[in-house]
Amino acid sequence: MNAYELNSVEALRAHLAADRRLYEPRPDGQGGLHWQTVAADDAQAFEPGLEPPPFSAKAFFFPEREAMFRFERGRFVAVEPEPEAFTLFGLRACDLTAIAYQDRFFARDGHYQARREAALLVGMDCAASCTGGFCAALGSGPAVGDGLADLVLIPGASWRLLVNTAAGRAAVSGLDLKPAPRDWTRAREQTRQQAAAEQGDAAPLLAGIAALNAGRVPPQTWEALGPRCLGCSGCTSVCPTCSCFAPLDLPTDGGLRRERVWDSCLYEGFQKEASGHNGSPSPGDRVRRYWFHKFGDGFKREFGRYGCVGCGRCDRVCPGGIGARVVLKRLGGA
Amino acid sequence: MIEVVPSICSYCGVGCGLGLRVQGDRIIGVEPQSGHPVSQGQLCAKGWSTSFAVDPAQRLVHPLIKERGAFREAGWDETLDLVAEKFREALADGGPTAVGVISCARATNEDNYAAQKFARAVLKTHNIDHCARICHSPSVAGLARTLGSGAMTNGIVDIDLADLILVIGADVTENHAMIGARILRAQDRGAKLIVVDPRKTRLARLADWHLQLRLGTNIALINGLLHIIFAQGWEARDFLDRRCADADALRRHVAGIALDEVVALTGVPEDQLRAVAHAYSHAKAAFLAYGMGITQFQSGTNNVIAVSNLALSCGQIGRPGTGINPLRGQNNVQGACDMGCLPNVFPGYQDVADPAHAAKFTQAWNTSLPTAPGLTSLGMTKAALAGDFRALMILGEDPVLTDPDQNHVARSLAALDFLVVVETAMTETAKLADVVLPAAAFAEKDGSFTNCERRVQRVRRAVPPPGEARTDWQILGALAQRLGQPGLRWPDAEAIFDEMVGLSPMFSAMSYAKLDRHHGLQWPCDGEHPEGSPLLHAERFPLGKARLLPVSQVAPAEVPDADYPFAFTTHRLHFHYGCGSMTRRSPLLERETPTGLLFMHPDDGRGMGLREGQGVRVSSRRGVLETRVHLTDDVPAGTVAMPYHFKEAPCNRLTNDAQDPSTKMPELKACAVAVTALPPGQAPRRLEFDEPAHERL
Repeated sequence: MNAYELNSVEALRAHLAADRRLYEPRPDGQGGLHWQTVAADDAQAFEPGLEPPPFSAKAFFFPEREAMFRFERGRFVAVEPEPEAFTLFGLRACDLTAIAYQDRFFARDGHYQARREAALLVGMDCAASCTGGFCAALGSGPAVGDGLADLVLIPGASWRLLVNTAAGRAAVSGLDLKPAPRDWTRAREQTRQQAAAEQGDAAPLLAGIAALNAGRVPPQTWEALGPRCLGCSGCTSVCPTCSCFAPLDLPTDGGLRRERVWDSCLYEGFQKEASGHNGSPSPGDRVRRYWFHKFGDGFKREFGRYGCVGCGRCDRVCPGGIGARVVLKRLGGA
Repeated sequence: MIEVVPSICSYCGVGCGLGLRVQGDRIIGVEPQSGHPVSQGQLCAKGWSTSFAVDPAQRLVHPLIKERGAFREAGWDETLDLVAEKFREALADGGPTAVGVISCARATNEDNYAAQKFARAVLKTHNIDHCARICHSPSVAGLARTLGSGAMTNGIVDIDLADLILVIGADVTENHAMIGARILRAQDRGAKLIVVDPRKTRLARLADWHLQLRLGTNIALINGLLHIIFAQGWEARDFLDRRCADADALRRHVAGIALDEVVALTGVPEDQLRAVAHAYSHAKAAFLAYGMGITQFQSGTNNVIAVSNLALSCGQIGRPGTGINPLRGQNNVQGACDMGCLPNVFPGYQDVADPAHAAKFTQAWNTSLPTAPGLTSLGMTKAALAGDFRALMILGEDPVLTDPDQNHVARSLAALDFLVVVETAMTETAKLADVVLPAAAFAEKDGSFTNCERRVQRVRRAVPPPGEARTDWQILGALAQRLGQPGLRWPDAEAIFDEMVGLSPMFSAMSYAKLDRHHGLQWPCDGEHPEGSPLLHAERFPLGKARLLPVSQVAPAEVPDADYPFAFTTHRLHFHYGCGSMTRRSPLLERETPTGLLFMHPDDGRGMGLREGQGVRVSSRRGVLETRVHLTDDVPAGTVAMPYHFKEAPCNRLTNDAQDPSTKMPELKACAVAVTALPPGQAPRRLEFDEPAHERL
């Protein structure tokens, strides 16, 4: 890991964009903030703001609709993705943590891995907390964790750049970078602590996780949350670690194309079996199941961490107002 | 490579912002627009599933001509020549009263402007209508009589400012989910929530008070509330004096009402009536929203007037956080009305019978215009059955599935000499057409939609239309040219919008550039209100003083009896929309509710020995169908309900076309049915459309 002074983030971005397609979150002027292509000659200043894009980077690797195979003239034909190399510029710590989580889940998924290998990840420490984020409580931010990105931008009085991997080193070769002063870690740690403090007391959230895993949440709590879930699929769509999918067969000339499409465990039909039996028949059961998948200790054992990275997107996207932060506080009795 | 194109959701009238995720020529998904004033970065299940609805794999991509009962693909020139010839024949044969256009509440303002111009300037008829007839025509008529204007008086943001929210006959979290969500958030911050509905909707279950009135007793209930309010002196006297005329007639009318009769009629206990009357009249700001549970009755217009009486009597209008707020069903049903796709008005609600308006449009369009009054869509249906109607164009609607008494609609379409349907997919109505023209979907064209709070918002072309599909206005322009009228050949959607703005005073200060800058603008938007009008009637009503009109309870035209012992109502599901032509393409939404259902109270189910999911036969005086029963206390004992999205169990085979006298709104919300059990294990028969139900079952 090497740290450098970065005189111009825009110059770095232009350098990276010259080699491969580069995406950066940008406002669309109509209320949206989306990952958008930035050309090498794009002169717009790099102004990441505090809020992460509402849509995580998940879809770059695990698209919401993706062809898996075709069936033609009685034969199955695999559809392999052929991704062009690309760079994600300005990934937050939470999203990078989520990518690492997804890397484990999709470790043997050729489609995911092909896209993942095509990507250069440029992370960014958060200079201050976004509204509603609680990454500090879950150990996924606000500073980018070790080894999660090829390059990391560190905000401060002036930008600094961490080069973490061989791919990162190759990507910045040709740039004239001066080493950062030796005490760069202290300034970074200061920013991290400050941003983490802005997220408030983690205790009520941790109490919620503890109550959930200790089985101390009474069924009435889940049944009260149930009607507030409209089954919209918003939380699972924006969640950077959700990974469930369903098949969709579309007719083609004389055959069909099988896609996998994002599914949502909040749908009643998700667990419904052919017999009509449903493992999670009530809305409360489904809400309970969802949060167990995000905060259950069993999943932590399997994936090395909780499924939630504290990005706060579900709180923002949930029409019923029962995103992670709200639910954890309620479970913890706060 | 992914591009995100900001647009507006094409489902309901809430008008949520969404970003269309485009990969190549396909929309693969959507992203929320966190800064959008209406949806604030949230969407419902339908909005999230948009990519499936517009998927080119299941779309109409070529013009189709029916020959010997089967469709064949044809080129645009051949097809448009044929359509023009058929309209010429129809006009020669029956004159302009024998042709008409049914436009589309899901198409853009620009498409709708083109449709009414095509009817009026090319076909020379005011026979132009759309499905507002069967959703909010009573709102337009009722509020025109009491206030002088029929749209939401306040904005969606006013929910955030209310300390009480009263919902009557609207299943808001399911049908207008982002408004429902906003109501839930308002309740979380301390606002009181009152729901008036015969069904236990999600909101009703979460409400502070749920008045579970008997089906079709809205006026009795509201008059009961008004009786209490006036008897207690809780009315807003100052507001009544300053802003309303003739309060005394209403005061006398409700004074004569016996509360115990209200209780007996509605089934709502007196203490609940008193609590709600007190809460609504004492709220600092009470936001009243209503839906089809008010309008879809033969007393629809009077129901709306009763709602208006309540809000006016308590002064809950004209201020932030208040208002009379009809929730509109389609993404652009407001716009289709605004654009004049109604038989009686030009764009901007300019009366066709007013010679000054007629002269203005005659001059602007440089052609003669009809003087004969136009027909409503049901009027056209009836004329066709009577043999007085020759040719009809239907743009993007599926009346065979969504209108009352389906056999009747199908027979009337069969009685036409010529039916042309402009559609994105092969609907049940399109199957009956002589010619089907492939239309571009919302994501494939530029234009604007107007949501239920009167906000005109831009939609943008994100992908090209599949195959040979074209926008409605392009099709109408090419057809007009063949019929000798070149005035519908616009270069782009913006040119249509600008033409409309130039002719409609209520839109006079709007332009695409301004819409882009402001996240859309709410009409009226004119010299006096250059930034639009979030709040209506703050100073005065269009009528000057508002009118309180005494109305009396009218029972549904058909009530349960020995032969048809269940009260029957219709509703919608969160996961489906309209006739299902969009939502049922999503594997996830289709999995949620794959077939139609009959909702029945468990006590009734027990009485009939029914098990959950068992097949049942449901019959009314008009038709019969088979479906599966879902036992739930969502409905009270004695009342059963069906959603209308499912063509294999089409509840509009059962519904009554008894009509509201002033608007011809059919009574879709109430009729009487009989239910019989199918033997356990026997699957319900899925209906096919080409055979009348009576003969088959």
